[in-house]
Amino acid sequence: MRSIYKYFYDIFHGFYSLWTGMMTTGYYLVHPKKILTQEYPDNRGTTLYIAERFHGEVVMPHDENNEHRCTACSLCQMSCPNGSIEVKSEMIETPEGKKKKVLKQWIYHIDLCTFCGSCIDACPSDAIRMSNEFEHASYTKDAFLKVLNKPGSKLKSKEK
Amino acid sequence: MISLSDITQWIHKMLFQYLNGTVAYGAELVLAGVAVIALVVAMAIIMVYAERKFAGFFQMRWGPNRVGKWGTLQAIADTVKLMLKECITPNNADKPMFKLAPIIITVVGFLALAPFAFAKGIVLWDMNIGVFYVTAISSLSVIGILMGGWASNNKYSLLGALRSGAQIVSYELSAGLSIAAIIVMSGSMSLNDIILAQTDGWWILRGHIPAIIAFVISIIASTAEANRSPFDLAEGEQELTGGYHTEYSGIQFALFFLAEYTTMFILAMLNITLFLGGWMPFHIPGLTVFNHIMDFIPGIVWFFGKTFFILFLMIWFRWTFPRMRIDKLLKLEWKYLLPISIVNLLFAAFITLMGWHF
Amino acid sequence: MSAQAIAFYILGALAIVCSALTIFSRMIFRSAIYLLFSLISIAGIYFLMEMDFIAALQIMVYVGGIVVLIIFSIFLTHRSGDKLPCALTKRSLIGGIIALSGLALSGWIILRNTFTATNKPAVDLSIRNIGRQMLDYQQHGYVYPFEIISFLILAALIGCIVIAVKDKKE
Repeated sequence: MRSIYKYFYDIFHGFYSLWTGMMTTGYYLVHPKKILTQEYPDNRGTTLYIAERFHGEVVMPHDENNEHRCTACSLCQMSCPNGSIEVKSEMIETPEGKKKKVLKQWIYHIDLCTFCGSCIDACPSDAIRMSNEFEHASYTKDAFLKVLNKPGSKLKSKEK
Repeated sequence: MISLSDITQWIHKMLFQYLNGTVAYGAELVLAGVAVIALVVAMAIIMVYAERKFAGFFQMRWGPNRVGKWGTLQAIADTVKLMLKECITPNNADKPMFKLAPIIITVVGFLALAPFAFAKGIVLWDMNIGVFYVTAISSLSVIGILMGGWASNNKYSLLGALRSGAQIVSYELSAGLSIAAIIVMSGSMSLNDIILAQTDGWWILRGHIPAIIAFVISIIASTAEANRSPFDLAEGEQELTGGYHTEYSGIQFALFFLAEYTTMFILAMLNITLFLGGWMPFHIPGLTVFNHIMDFIPGIVWFFGKTFFILFLMIWFRWTFPRMRIDKLLKLEWKYLLPISIVNLLFAAFITLMGWHF
Repeated sequence: MSAQAIAFYILGALAIVCSALTIFSRMIFRSAIYLLFSLISIAGIYFLMEMDFIAALQIMVYVGGIVVLIIFSIFLTHRSGDKLPCALTKRSLIGGIIALSGLALSGWIILRNTFTATNKPAVDLSIRNIGRQMLDYQQHGYVYPFEIISFLILAALIGCIVIAVKDKKE
């Protein structure tokens, strides 16, 4: 008896669940405003929306005094799984007479990068972050080699 | 008012007036063939466009919208592309079979169109076993799929063909039984007679619950026989990379594609002829004025309107439901659809015997 | 020669050629496909004789059912795609003799039999009449073979179930 009840229950429950699914898609059919598609090349620069957390490329923010926060510790270089980061540093002598390691060039091979974000996680001083920029296509390979620190930039002094 | 049958009559008269008998007869055959091919190709193009556009809207996308206004020329562009592409035959394929398979499957599709009445008097071959003929012919389409899958000499294709064979052979049963319920009620197998029997109302309304159950089962079985999602295991893009037509390209693939849509079209036409009255306008017995107003809409509009309704349902199914697993698919047929349709057939026979359908 | 006769000879030739190819082809899948064409041509001959019901039955049962089953069993057979070896000379000789004697026997019967033309009206071929005759126990009724066949199919069904639900204890 129970199995007979289950047999018919299965049939009606099946129809009910199918109907729920069909109603969902049917709702989308009659509500074209719900469409999520972005017509990309057409809406470039107008309605194009890219999520905040999208991993586009690694950038190094500089403030208005042309200062960055990279201490050239090269943790990012070590954390990178495919070796797309090269941190070149040099030793300089500060006015107080101390020897100090400062960043010379932060070289970013975007053609090797998988945008995993490990370098951002590894950075202890929040010197780098991921930007939303995604239009990387280029005709020459040179464009894929980027130096992230701007010429003449220096380390931001620690806020006291 | 000029009806379509007047036009065909006029063509018939003209041909026999200016040509001698045999030549005129041959010319009529050629004209009918061209008309069928044109209809199928036009329908396929419309259906492909509708399918992709609806698919887009069902899934919160736009669908094709670049070629032509709203992407209307997309299907035509695809057709032209497929025609221009090279037909590649794999090296170790069974070559004659490989080339024959798409032809067989297309011919079967065209053959099954013969007994359908598109409007009053527009029928290619009014045979007295029309329904049976359509089911018999459409059971042949599995041969083309099996041939294509085997001849490709590819294990994915073979698996796809096997699945498709198991599926079509088993779903034919419940499709046949649900069709039989309507045959019992109308007492004829001729599609024309079945349509004429629905002058007072469509079978789905007149046949009480058995007709509704038969309609639902028939729609499910048609979706399965047309190899459409949720029953598209034969293609199974994700697991079988295209199933039985993995190795096909160019015009051969286009023929498989065309055959798929032809099958869908034929099954939709069969369903509306049996359950929704074919070209018969919507009549309610007793309301003479209402019936006359309905009669003003030509039969061909009714016919294609209903066909597109069924096709829309199938498209809706396809873009809503996930694909079934093969064992669940066979379980659905053998444990649910088949017993229900057998019992349903008995009920339909009982209702007919007692004269309870109005 | 009328168009009907031309169509008949084409279909007949197709049936004979395809049957011969079924036997002489050494690739088993192709044999199945040739068998299919042979059966379809016979269905075509039925259509030509306006025996629509039998023609559709031929297509549904033989082509849609039996050939599909044959193809299925070919699919499930190991190494069925290979070319089969040639038959032994002795066997092919014996087979040929048996086939030829069969042909001679049926040809002799057909030639001996005198076919007489009748003026009787053709049998009503409507589905209604076929159904009536199928369940008729008067003259020209087929209720006895019909019931016998339904018993046979029932026995086959039960046999299938018995095989399918074999005890798993063994």
